[in-house]
Amino acid sequence: MRIIWSITWKEMLRKKVLLLTLLMTAAFLAGFWFLARAFGEQGLAQGMGESGEVLIARFANGAIIVTIGLMFGSFVLAFLAIFTSFSAIAGEAETGILQAVLSRPLPRWKWYAGRWLGYVTLGTAYALLLFVSILLITRTHAAIPLDPAAWIKSFLLFSLAVPLLVSVSMLGSGLFSAIGNGVFMTILYGTSWLGGMIERIGSGFSRDAAVMESLNRLTGVISLVIPADGLQRKAIAELFSFDELSGMVPFDVSSSGVNNFSSVPSNSFVVYAIMYTAVFFAMGIRRFKSRDL
Amino acid sequence: MMSVPAIETLALTKQYDNGRGCRDVSITVGKGEAFGFLGPNGAGKSTFVKMLVGLITPSSGSAALLGCKIGSLAAKSLIGYLPELYRYQEWMTGEEVVELHARLCRMERSVAAKRVRELLDEVGLGQRGRDRVKHYSKGMQQRLGLACALVNDPEIIFLDEPSSALDPIGRREVRNILEKLKERGKTIFLNSHLLEEVELLCDRMALLNNGVILRHGSVSEVLRKQTKWLFKVGGYTPFLRSWLNERTGLNIRLSARQELSSPPRHNFGDQLPSGPSPDESIVWLEAELDSEEQAGWLNALIVEQGMTLYEVSQEQERLEEWFVNTVSGLDHRGEQG
Repeated sequence: MRIIWSITWKEMLRKKVLLLTLLMTAAFLAGFWFLARAFGEQGLAQGMGESGEVLIARFANGAIIVTIGLMFGSFVLAFLAIFTSFSAIAGEAETGILQAVLSRPLPRWKWYAGRWLGYVTLGTAYALLLFVSILLITRTHAAIPLDPAAWIKSFLLFSLAVPLLVSVSMLGSGLFSAIGNGVFMTILYGTSWLGGMIERIGSGFSRDAAVMESLNRLTGVISLVIPADGLQRKAIAELFSFDELSGMVPFDVSSSGVNNFSSVPSNSFVVYAIMYTAVFFAMGIRRFKSRDL
Repeated sequence: MMSVPAIETLALTKQYDNGRGCRDVSITVGKGEAFGFLGPNGAGKSTFVKMLVGLITPSSGSAALLGCKIGSLAAKSLIGYLPELYRYQEWMTGEEVVELHARLCRMERSVAAKRVRELLDEVGLGQRGRDRVKHYSKGMQQRLGLACALVNDPEIIFLDEPSSALDPIGRREVRNILEKLKERGKTIFLNSHLLEEVELLCDRMALLNNGVILRHGSVSEVLRKQTKWLFKVGGYTPFLRSWLNERTGLNIRLSARQELSSPPRHNFGDQLPSGPSPDESIVWLEAELDSEEQAGWLNALIVEQGMTLYEVSQEQERLEEWFVNTVSGLDHRGEQG
């Protein structure tokens, strides 16, 4: 299996997918640096020194900067996961590559799992780079909690979107044509992102309880269909441990906006997302094993 | 004790939703034999081969390769396969592609590296092994595919149109490689439209049409069965042909080969053009006969009818002619018309 996931990495390197991703990420991080600097100075009057008030203001700014950074990061990460894997099966079956490879004494599940591991390790490595860069830039201009456990938990939640999306994308690749799956996955993730946005800013649409209930039901269903965006909201919440800090920071959790943390998914939701990934991975293997080439 | 056949299928069937596929294909290919698999486009040849190499799951029936169930890892470790749609990772070099196949066959890296160089030299890609596959022509990709198929020194080699993209020199080189493999006792299963290739290399063959085997046997047997006999008959009248057909049950017809001295016959239908007297009617009749005895019997019948028999000859039908005649004589369901 190591041979297979290592050729996946090599493929991404040779096709310049990694190079282009890293170049675009560098451009994003440069822009993010200036954005973080601008937000980092927000609410800090000159001569305030290092009082507790300043620390809280810096902490609040840090939360906003990280939220923006990880929101963009999650978007890029999702598309990297989708676009590297959407043609994994269909594309190689259509071109005939799989016919030569799968006539070898190699169980099909090993090929599938090897490819899956390749995409997931690549996406996770990229997620780590992005996550660390965003935190370092934020720390330069504002404050973030110095809690390694929170960092690790947050990173794991942030990067869990990679195996989740790769599993769905590879199953889709075993069911649909390459281009069909690309369109399907883009719309599916777009729907998830839209559901997340509605959840964040929904309260700004209406104060009508009935409308809010319908919106909540809709976003709940979307989160169950594709739980990628919810994981990323959970990642930000874990980083800043909002439950424990409740009341200490000047966040209006009921306000609408991208930094609305009133709707942080529960731990059960994380368990659901992990099981969702496992089920889609198993279904993908099952489908691939019975697929005629 | 009988040795285990290299390939044995029993009523192997793959039925697709559109009704295509293979039906009840039963063949046995001995170890060290070269077997040709013929059929028009869409006959189901590639489907059949893909079932044997484990890419397609049969709907029913069974098959084994040297006693190992098709699709099993044991069966797959015995084979090399060059697909009809030969495409390899374009971002890899030729050497890397062959090495990947070697490694998937669980070869040690050092052994694989040596084998890769040998094979690329053998298929004529020795100088281009370090080029990316995307820079290869179709013919070079097909040679690369052959190297991949042979990397594990397989006992059974399945080749689906192995030289469709090659120039005449390339075809000859591939044929030489296959002949050497055959000499080494390897079993070769050849799907090809290049009938000459089948005729030159294969010991036995089968004709598949619309998923059903129509004929099979040794190449010489099949061709001998189809020997065309020609009879130059003087004093011919149309009655003779219908009488002969009725009497013998054979398909005796006017040959396209007529001599200049004969009355002009532009369109040999059921009836000869009217005009020349019977004495002037010298024609060539033709029929596929099983044996010389049958030819002798036909001679006697012609003479018995008062005709003059000037000449009798036989034409060994080339495989290509046989294929065209056989396939064109089938209706769309693959039944003989």
